[in-house]
Amino acid sequence: MRRFFRRTKAIAHKEVLHIVRDARAVYLALGLPVVMLMLFGYGISQDVDHIPLAIVDQDRTPASRHLSTSLVAAGDFVREADLVSPDDVEAAFRRGSVKAVLVIPFGYQRNLARGAASQAQLLVDGSDGTTATIAMGDAAGIAQATASGRAVRASLSAGPRVRVRFNPAMVSTYNMVSGVIVLILSMVASLLTALTVSREWERGSMEQLFATPVTRAEIIIGKLIPYAGLGFVQTLLVLTLGSYMFELPIRGSLVTLFTCSTLFLLAMLGMGLLASVIAKSQLVAVQFAMLLSYMPVAMLSGFMFPIENMPWWLQGLSMAVPGRYYLTALRGVLLKGNGLHVVLGNVVALVIFAAAVLALAVRRFHRRLM
Amino acid sequence: MSHDVSVRVKDLTKRFGEFVAVHDVSFEVRKGEIFGYLGANGAGKSTTIRMLCGLLSVSSGSAEVAGVDVVHRPNAVRRAIGYMSQKFSLYLDLTVADNLEFFGGAYDLFGRTFRERRDAVMGELALETLSDELTGSLPGGLRQRLALACALLHEPEVVFLDEPTAGVDPGARRNFWRLIRRLADEGTTIFVTTHYMDEAEYCDRVGLMVAGELAALDTPERLKRNFVPGRMYEVHGADVGEVQKAAKDLGLLGIEPFGAILHVRVAENGPDAQALRRELSRRGARVTSVSDAEITLEDVFLRVVGGAAKASNASEEARTT
Repeated sequence: MRRFFRRTKAIAHKEVLHIVRDARAVYLALGLPVVMLMLFGYGISQDVDHIPLAIVDQDRTPASRHLSTSLVAAGDFVREADLVSPDDVEAAFRRGSVKAVLVIPFGYQRNLARGAASQAQLLVDGSDGTTATIAMGDAAGIAQATASGRAVRASLSAGPRVRVRFNPAMVSTYNMVSGVIVLILSMVASLLTALTVSREWERGSMEQLFATPVTRAEIIIGKLIPYAGLGFVQTLLVLTLGSYMFELPIRGSLVTLFTCSTLFLLAMLGMGLLASVIAKSQLVAVQFAMLLSYMPVAMLSGFMFPIENMPWWLQGLSMAVPGRYYLTALRGVLLKGNGLHVVLGNVVALVIFAAAVLALAVRRFHRRLM
Repeated sequence: MSHDVSVRVKDLTKRFGEFVAVHDVSFEVRKGEIFGYLGANGAGKSTTIRMLCGLLSVSSGSAEVAGVDVVHRPNAVRRAIGYMSQKFSLYLDLTVADNLEFFGGAYDLFGRTFRERRDAVMGELALETLSDELTGSLPGGLRQRLALACALLHEPEVVFLDEPTAGVDPGARRNFWRLIRRLADEGTTIFVTTHYMDEAEYCDRVGLMVAGELAALDTPERLKRNFVPGRMYEVHGADVGEVQKAAKDLGLLGIEPFGAILHVRVAENGPDAQALRRELSRRGARVTSVSDAEITLEDVFLRVVGGAAKASNASEEARTT
């Protein structure tokens, strides 16, 4: 047993030297999370604002002016142009100079005063789907608020009142940061593991190792420990940056957070190991690792595309993506302050996944040489 | 197993599907012997070594290395052997000291035991001054010495060296073999493969592998005497074909083209260099000179392998045997 620990330590120590001596690995491990966080946090925001807006005010009354100014005042829209007639809308859309047009018809104020349905029309350029959806949602909210503020108090229009919990401002950055953690862990953990093991195959040092008393379990554990440690550092890094730069709340317990992270890490390390055991060269192993871990996490974890919107077969497929469980748990712990008992289902799924992947990798690893 | 035998192999066979890589090979290697395994690429040298090191499963036959049954306990042999694989497989991004420390750890050497052994092998292989050098920055010869050092840390009974000097310059190769000889004199058994014929001369005994079979096994001297008897001359002529034709009816033991010259072998009591030159000239061949030549293991190898190793059909015709 003592020998087991010492030999494992020897492997782990060697692996740390590899990492430290390889500028590429250090960049990949520590630089990439920062770059991705910046990119996703600042660059790729799903919050839509500054939508160029044109206004066709046919009513020309205080009420109509109030509607258009409040729409702009909310900050989502920028008044780009005023059009005389609704017939000009088509041309404006085609030029792409505006993404939305507010049309306020004759009699808007009159209808409002009478308490009758007053209809202003918002035309949205649907060629940019995301912007369109969000613009409509925002505008509807503003229009309703404006109208009720003016006169419709009496009618007490029925309909759901939406209150957003946990992320009332609907800041998409929160989703981004948690998504980046999942992406980074899946990418770096599986990629680096795939690289380190396939490099030993490719260079022939694996055979040299097999000629020593070192066992396969010692090789695997010794190799995984430093990368698991690296994963921890990355998780901490992204969380810290996330909470400083994007005010990401951490409402749940860090213990739960790191329990989930460890399990997910193990699954991803196992994926990398599996990729390197199946593939014989570094190049193929890296592609395998991306295919096995990164792609499914990016596409099917619910980070970029909501799982609920997927067709049934993709939803089924997403059940086999560990990132899905980790992301759910992560968001739960970060934003809702969920305890372990709430995210237990996800934790169990991660445990099963990590165990299965590692077991499979170890099995395949055994078979390689004979 | 008697104490003076380090490796005992009986009817060892390795099949990869239909292909028989090693076929019914049997031999013994004495303790402290340098045992050379000579053969073309793909003749089954590495496969044999890898079976003996417990890295490949054995299809049939038996093999004992350092008293361990490799067929049934392939993992148990590792502590008793050192292995230097064909490909240089230390870590290039680690320093010399790091590599030694890692392989020390892999062989269960720690603390003072490790430091003592490390200093011993570094001294023996003259690596002391290179401790902090990156392995990747070392020239081939030094890398080989480091690889050997790593394989010797745990004082193995048998050391397996698979083409240890491939890609190493001649000076460093000679140096390396001096080290190997010293190791063997100290009692370590050396099992080495090579396809450098001149290196095989350093071995106590040489086994010739041809297409998975052990075609011959003896000391270099006896191999030469048995397979290539007689005396050898180098014949320099303006035209190899002409000399070949002229020599045809001289009743010689062998004629092999060797680049622009001919290797001509005569019986022990055959003509001397002067007489041979006279005879060839008399038959119309323009011979510039005839000189004595060493019979080498290369000649043995070519004899054993037969026509397969020879490229030209001309030599096939010229053979008088």
